[in-house]
Amino acid sequence: MSTITTIDPVTRLEGHLKIQVTVDMVKGVQQVIDAKATGTLFRGFENILLNRHPFDAQHITQRICGVCPVSHGMAAVMALDAVCGVTAPTNARIMRNLVLGANLVDSHILHFYHLSAPDFLDGPNMPPWQPSWRVDKRFNTDQTNALVNNYVTALNMRRLAHEAGAIFGGRLPHPPTFIAGGFTTRPTSAGITKFKGLMGQVVDFIQNTFIPDAQTLAATYADYRQIGQGHRNLLAYGCFDLNSSGSSRLLQRGQVVDGSTAVQAVNLQSISENMTYSWYRTPLSVVPLDDMMLSIPVSQNPAVGVTNPVDPAAKTKAYSWLKAPRYNGLPYETGPLARMWVNGDYQAGISVMDRHLARAAEALKVAQAMLTWVDQINLSGRVSVSANIPTSTTIPSTNPNVPPVTTSFSAIGLTEAPRGALGHWLQVTDGKISRYQIVTPTCWNASPRDNRGRRGPMEEALIGTPVQDLQQPVEVVRVIHSFDPCLSCAVHVMRPEAGRKIFTLAHYHGGDEVHSHNHDHGHHGHEHHHHQNHGHSLE
Amino acid sequence: MEISRRDFLKYCGLTAAALGLSTSQLLLLEEVLANPDGPTVLWLQGSGCTGCSISFLNYIATAAPTSAADILINNINLAYHPNLMSLAGQGAAEVARQAYDAGGYILAVEGGVPTAFGGRACWAWSYNGEDITFQQAVTDLASRASTLLSIGSCAGFGGIPAAGPNPTQVQSVKAVTGKNTINIAGCPPHPDWIVYTIVQLLLGNSLPLDAYSRPTAIFGQTVHSTCPRRNREESCLAPRGCRGPGTFANCPTVQWNNKANWCVNANAPCYACTEPSFPGTASLYTVIYNPHGGTNLNCNSCHDDD
Repeated sequence: MSTITTIDPVTRLEGHLKIQVTVDMVKGVQQVIDAKATGTLFRGFENILLNRHPFDAQHITQRICGVCPVSHGMAAVMALDAVCGVTAPTNARIMRNLVLGANLVDSHILHFYHLSAPDFLDGPNMPPWQPSWRVDKRFNTDQTNALVNNYVTALNMRRLAHEAGAIFGGRLPHPPTFIAGGFTTRPTSAGITKFKGLMGQVVDFIQNTFIPDAQTLAATYADYRQIGQGHRNLLAYGCFDLNSSGSSRLLQRGQVVDGSTAVQAVNLQSISENMTYSWYRTPLSVVPLDDMMLSIPVSQNPAVGVTNPVDPAAKTKAYSWLKAPRYNGLPYETGPLARMWVNGDYQAGISVMDRHLARAAEALKVAQAMLTWVDQINLSGRVSVSANIPTSTTIPSTNPNVPPVTTSFSAIGLTEAPRGALGHWLQVTDGKISRYQIVTPTCWNASPRDNRGRRGPMEEALIGTPVQDLQQPVEVVRVIHSFDPCLSCAVHVMRPEAGRKIFTLAHYHGGDEVHSHNHDHGHHGHEHHHHQNHGHSLE
Repeated sequence: MEISRRDFLKYCGLTAAALGLSTSQLLLLEEVLANPDGPTVLWLQGSGCTGCSISFLNYIATAAPTSAADILINNINLAYHPNLMSLAGQGAAEVARQAYDAGGYILAVEGGVPTAFGGRACWAWSYNGEDITFQQAVTDLASRASTLLSIGSCAGFGGIPAAGPNPTQVQSVKAVTGKNTINIAGCPPHPDWIVYTIVQLLLGNSLPLDAYSRPTAIFGQTVHSTCPRRNREESCLAPRGCRGPGTFANCPTVQWNNKANWCVNANAPCYACTEPSFPGTASLYTVIYNPHGGTNLNCNSCHDDD
């Protein structure tokens, strides 16, 4: 007989997550046969951003997540650069990358030692290690002592990564230095020297402690190379631009289906968000069928997304504040493993331990690259260019039944958070934010079921996970933690129903790459005349 | 395995100086540290971003407590913290329940309290199969706490989740519980501010508060009044939107990330993240103060240009 076990809260992650697993005996092994992931916090960031000055976006959106604020700042200024039609100078590109990298390295160290390791460790008899679930702890005393010691060392190492990032970022978390058109900080040779000293210690730690510890964990819990595989579809937007056009990156953009080594291009128009099982009003599209008009529930591309929260008590079929993003209609996993896989740096497998190993390997790759980038700063070079939000024009309508059309400007900022692919979809009208859509990595990973009943990646990864003790389901938590979920990021609401102007953008600039292009007014960016009901995909 | 709190000081590298404590206070602190039964702290997270906790982990000092690990392991009994505690699920909720039954704990709240949808925009935990909203958890636990700490601007004043239309009707901890809180403001608060406040509580010292319940030792002066750029018209960022003249915090002296930098030193205007009005509705770059009487400057005055 199957049993439903609820884990709420799932601790040692960012934000609020509830997991419900159905456990049953299958072939003599008690294991997970079904799972539901529930995001249990809703804040409404896109509503908060609505009608604000666009230049506030990088500050407001950083507060989506204090663990990965820099990724949000980066995505926001990338979108702002494109809307303003400017390219950040080389110094700004480098400093943005250095702060993003510092945040990534900090987050990866924190994730392994402080968020994940306690799942495997029977640590000292004191908080935060105790009280704990006492099942399946396999490390011997020496290994445990070493890991506890490294837990404390890692606290200092992640702090050093933040200090290195703050040399350019001003402070961490929530650096104030990212701006449209560049960066505020003027680099100094003393700062560069200090940065190299701090990051040198961090690289040493990753190389000689973090990676060996991850390898020890993977060897000791080798069965977790099979557990937690999931859908095996991987998506990466890529990040760390190595030139001003963004045509070269340290971590590439791409996607793979079912663990294939054949990496395919990313077409942004293939992204849709489904709300069948989310506490939002399901958007409808009116389509003609013979001589009738039908209202059909649709999934939405983020560029046209509209979201209206509903009281959870009023939509009982739904079970999460997260939406369900899908690519080509399929659930995709994002994160360090997806990035390293797409990059060709790690393709050993897709599982709990592969996620840990890829994350550690990526921390080293990024930290080492940062030490080369910092030497490319030109102390006499500029750090920003002027940036202006383009002016909207209103085209009056001659038909009283057709509202006047106001031009707006849209752009997308795509980057990577430590825990996966992050996209900001920005629309500016009359100098204000008229739409802001955020699709975060944990939206992908911890998403609920979609209209076709397919589980989200984390839900799917839980299927088949053995559970020794229903009262202490540590195996379930290990699978969840391997995704490094960040729930504050994941839960979001888009704009409310369009008020004064009803239009959505007809199309946006082509597919994979996000670059600005000229339009009539001499600005760069994406100008759109608006039509209804484009960009939807029917469910 | 067993490691004593004392042993752990080795890991944490205990040395001397700083934190502004007198010798007698240091001795008193040593006694507190030696007490294995430090005060129970429950740290809850509501409508926030975890940035306050991450900032707290950046704590570093040359005298006890020397690091975040030092605080966690030697100074307090951090019974509940969502990011750090080992237990999950019912067991975690049980920890909070046991503390509630004992009473007299320090309740630290990070994040605001959503009150829309009957509080169902944010859940704290499931307890015996019942989903408990964050609003309910904070209200219940506040009733038996010895001290209420609002960590960060969201818990203290509503902060960013309460901005604009306040989509989830976020309120401060004080507004929801009707109880006085110590507001360690900031988005995020500096780690020294959190540790200073906790240490003062451990020492039993009085903690003078300002009109917004912020410790005056930290929030007694404006950023501008101690800013190294305040007297130089050409470098003061106020004409570029800096809120330093109206923002109470000791950022210019404490600086950030072990004094690696701070906002104004990085040419970024202060946007008043410690003030109850943060973030407001005007652009964070809107010019509000003009202490030098010069001309207000537009955005591009801050950008390099051809």
